[in-house]
Amino acid sequence: MPLINLPAFSAELLADFESLGTLRVDTPVIQPAEPFLAMAGEDLRRRIFMTESETGESLCLRPEFTIPVCLRHIETATGTPKRYAYLGEVFRQRREGGNEFYQAGIEDLGDTDTAASDARAVGNAMRVVANRLPGRRLSVTLGDQAVFEAVVGACGLPGGWQKRLIHAFGDPKHLQKLLAELADPKAAGVFGPEVERLAIAGMLDDEARLVAHIGETMEATGYSTNASRSPQDIARRLKEKMELANTRLDPETLDLVREFLALDMPLAEAPAALFRFAEKSGLTLDGALSRFDARVAALAAVGADVSVIRYRAAFGRPLDYYTGLVFEVEAEGTPAVLAGGGRFDRLLTLLGAKEHIPAVGFSLWLDRIEAAIAASGGAA
Amino acid sequence: MTITIALPSKGRMKDDASAIFERAGMKIVAVGNDRSYRGRVEGWDDVEIAFLSASEISRELGNGSIDFGVTGEDLVREGLANADARVEFCARLGFGHADVVVAVPEIWYDVDTMADLGDVAADFRARHGRRLAIATKYWRLTQNHFSGSHGIQLYRIVESLGATEGAPASGSADIIVDITSTGSTLHANHLKILADGVILRSEACLVRARKPVHDSDPVVGRILSAVRDAV
Repeated sequence: MPLINLPAFSAELLADFESLGTLRVDTPVIQPAEPFLAMAGEDLRRRIFMTESETGESLCLRPEFTIPVCLRHIETATGTPKRYAYLGEVFRQRREGGNEFYQAGIEDLGDTDTAASDARAVGNAMRVVANRLPGRRLSVTLGDQAVFEAVVGACGLPGGWQKRLIHAFGDPKHLQKLLAELADPKAAGVFGPEVERLAIAGMLDDEARLVAHIGETMEATGYSTNASRSPQDIARRLKEKMELANTRLDPETLDLVREFLALDMPLAEAPAALFRFAEKSGLTLDGALSRFDARVAALAAVGADVSVIRYRAAFGRPLDYYTGLVFEVEAEGTPAVLAGGGRFDRLLTLLGAKEHIPAVGFSLWLDRIEAAIAASGGAA
Repeated sequence: MTITIALPSKGRMKDDASAIFERAGMKIVAVGNDRSYRGRVEGWDDVEIAFLSASEISRELGNGSIDFGVTGEDLVREGLANADARVEFCARLGFGHADVVVAVPEIWYDVDTMADLGDVAADFRARHGRRLAIATKYWRLTQNHFSGSHGIQLYRIVESLGATEGAPASGSADIIVDITSTGSTLHANHLKILADGVILRSEACLVRARKPVHDSDPVVGRILSAVRDAV
């Protein structure tokens, strides 16, 4: 069915996708809501349009394409690698702009060459945006959660703190709060009076006894030991929490983390700058840095204009299925993100894929691209 | 213009609200019989009283179909997005106290703060194959507290319209967000409130729907000062 409200440049965009060797797919507009809420969290509920089927199943209007395209891939079980393209309407409750708008994009599933497929995603996104806005200079921001994970890992923090910091990556306010807590010896962990009793009873040093005690208490108070967290879970994290409470990051290391997060430079200079940072700080980041360098080289190899790409060390997305690359494409003079993408190697397994499927992709905000075309005075 | 004040239609909330208004020199009389859902104020001809359920009062304040309402702050903040832009909390009336709190099983020895809960939530799916489940009827307050104030995104809300405190023991949720006044029901169900788990200290309030016409209406000001002087 031809839609008369399609962006004027849709046909050219789809031709671009085809020339990039992708397979066009479509997904139903009405989707089960569960996968979106499970992946993105409860906050999404306020921003999507939900309804219910006659049988009580939660449904929603498609708020984005990545999850439906991945689910479709898992269901059709046609094997990898696959590069899918999509163009269609999505529905979100937005404060600004309409509630229904078009998105298009590419999802690249199953390519095990991380550097090459990362570079292809960034390069393709830049190419299709540039084709819509000829003569406009683009600017691209690139981040990499894997480098941050390597920095945090090399700082010698206990596992619990590493998890907290990595989880907060991409949420600057939360991350700064955690770093402040790590630095301030006054802000010790809060422990209830039961923990003191356990300590006096000598149970905190005897994990087997502690687990047995928790299990017995749960039985006695009517809590099933298998419906939620198990006695082992609680005992293990209690130990982890005591470690967390006793950990202080020395001021030098804290400064290093902050110095790293402040890095912001042209991508071409980033490999050398990261190398200098690692050398100066004495942190071992070899694996993450060589993968970073390989991506920069691959970007040049696919012909992307690396000179318009900036690396910002603190740039990330606080969603737990993003694993490495994230990027955004803007056009100079237009204050909106026109394309956004990243690597989400964990998503397909979370959605139920039997085998690990690496994935990277991007989506285009077609309404914003239309506005950018209009602002530059051109007809598409 | 006639000003409409909505009061709770039954129970202690109704009696306590009527008592406050009486002390404020606004004696409320039912129109018709005692069970009537409409009333008036003796000597205040331009004021009418509507008796509604507490949650309806919050909704009607949001719609602006009433001018004032007496209801719990929790219901207003839960029921209305951007509550402070749409209504004004004019006076706290000193009854109907209830805290909206985050409570977890007492046996979770390792969880006493929202930060602890954030750690547990972040790991939950990897360990249990599902998100941490919160039983509550307070969707909005829960989301604001977890995501807005504490950066916790990874949880699922399981709607619970009654006996919420029983959900963790029965296995239908892991933790709860609910109201408590004395904490005794939580205690009886082996739940504890987190150190920073009080989302809202709620009580009955006189709430005004923000309407431009109120600025030029002297009755609005008289009602406000009468009630404020009485609490």
